[in-house]
Amino acid sequence: MTPIQWGILASVLTLAVVVAAAAVLLYDVLNAIIAFATFSFGVAITWILFAAPDVALTEAAVGAGITTTLLLVTIARTVRQSGDRLLEKVDPRAALTAILFTGLLATTVDNLPAIGSPQSPIATSPITSYYIENAYPETGVENAVTAVLAAYRGFDTLGEATVVIAAGLAVLVILQQEAYA
Amino acid sequence: MSNNADTASDTDTRAESINNPTYVESTIIMTTVRLVVPFIFTFGLFVMFHGADSAGGGFQGGVIVASTVLLLAFAFGIDATRRWIEGPLIRTAIATGGGLFILIGLGALINGQFLEYAAYDIGTTGIKYGIELVELGIGAIVSGVLIGLFFTLARGDMLTEGDIDQRSSQEQHGSDRS
Repeated sequence: MTPIQWGILASVLTLAVVVAAAAVLLYDVLNAIIAFATFSFGVAITWILFAAPDVALTEAAVGAGITTTLLLVTIARTVRQSGDRLLEKVDPRAALTAILFTGLLATTVDNLPAIGSPQSPIATSPITSYYIENAYPETGVENAVTAVLAAYRGFDTLGEATVVIAAGLAVLVILQQEAYA
Repeated sequence: MSNNADTASDTDTRAESINNPTYVESTIIMTTVRLVVPFIFTFGLFVMFHGADSAGGGFQGGVIVASTVLLLAFAFGIDATRRWIEGPLIRTAIATGGGLFILIGLGALINGQFLEYAAYDIGTTGIKYGIELVELGIGAIVSGVLIGLFFTLARGDMLTEGDIDQRSSQEQHGSDRS
C-alpha cells in the first residue's frame, strides 16, 4: 500500500473505533444507530483498502444501508428513549469485561501476518493458488470470489440462501403477520 | 402529520397515521429519491448480473435493489409504497429464487453431483450461465426477504387491541381456573 493508502487506512480505522465507542455510549438510540452506520461505512472503506471489493460492497450495502434502515423502522415502531442525557450510564462490571476481552484479543494481533505479506497463510495455502489458477479455466467466471461462492462452495451458498429465507419467515412468525406487504 | 391519502375516510387516515407515525412529506427527499432511484436500481441489477466478472453478486445486488424500494418508502410513505408493491410479488420473488437455485442444483444430478454445473455439459460458458442464474436466484431471494423484512417491521405486531383484550381475558380465565 502507498503512504496515502496507509494514511486513509489509519484515519478510517480511527474513525471506526471512535464511532463504535459512540454507538455503545450514546444514550439516544437514534444517535447510536447513526454512529453504527458510520462504523460500517468506515469498515467498508477498510475492505476496499485491503483489496476486497466484494466484502466492501456487502458491508456498505448491508451494514451501512439496510441494517440502518431496518433499525430505524424498528425504533419508529417501538419506544425510543430520548432525553437530555447524552451518554449512557456505564456499568463498571460490563466495562471491565469489555476492556479485558479487548485486551485478550489485542494480545493476538502480534501474531497476525503483516498486511499484504506474501508469507501470510492465506497467500501460501495451496487452496488459494488452486482457486487462482483454476477458477477461470474451470468455470469461465472472471471474479474468483463468485466462482468460489457459487460453484466450488455452491452448497454452502445454498445454505446461506436458506438462512435468508428462514429469517424472512421468522419475522412473519414473530410479528404474527401473514404477508410481507 | 401530513398524509397523501386525500380520499381516505377519517378512520382510514387515522389508521394510517397510527401505522406510519414518522412520515413527513418532504419535497427535497421526494425529488432526490425520484432522481436517484432509477440509477441505484440499475446499479443493483448490474451488480447482480455482472457479479461473475466484477465485484458483487446476488447478495450485494439483491440488497441494492431492495434498498431502492426502501428509499421509495422513505420518500413517499411506507403505506403508499406498501399499496404499490402489495400482492404476491415479494413471496413470488423469494420462492422463484430459491426454486431456481435448487432446480439448477438438482438438474445436475442427471449427469453428475448436486450443483455440479459441468454436468450440464455445455462447456465453460454453460458453467458461467449456471453460476449467473444461481446469482440471480440469490438476488431475488435477498431483495424479496429484505423488502419483506422492512414492511413487516414497519407494520409491527399485527395483534389488534381486540386480540390483546381477548388474550389477556383468556389468561385471566386460565389463572382463575388454576
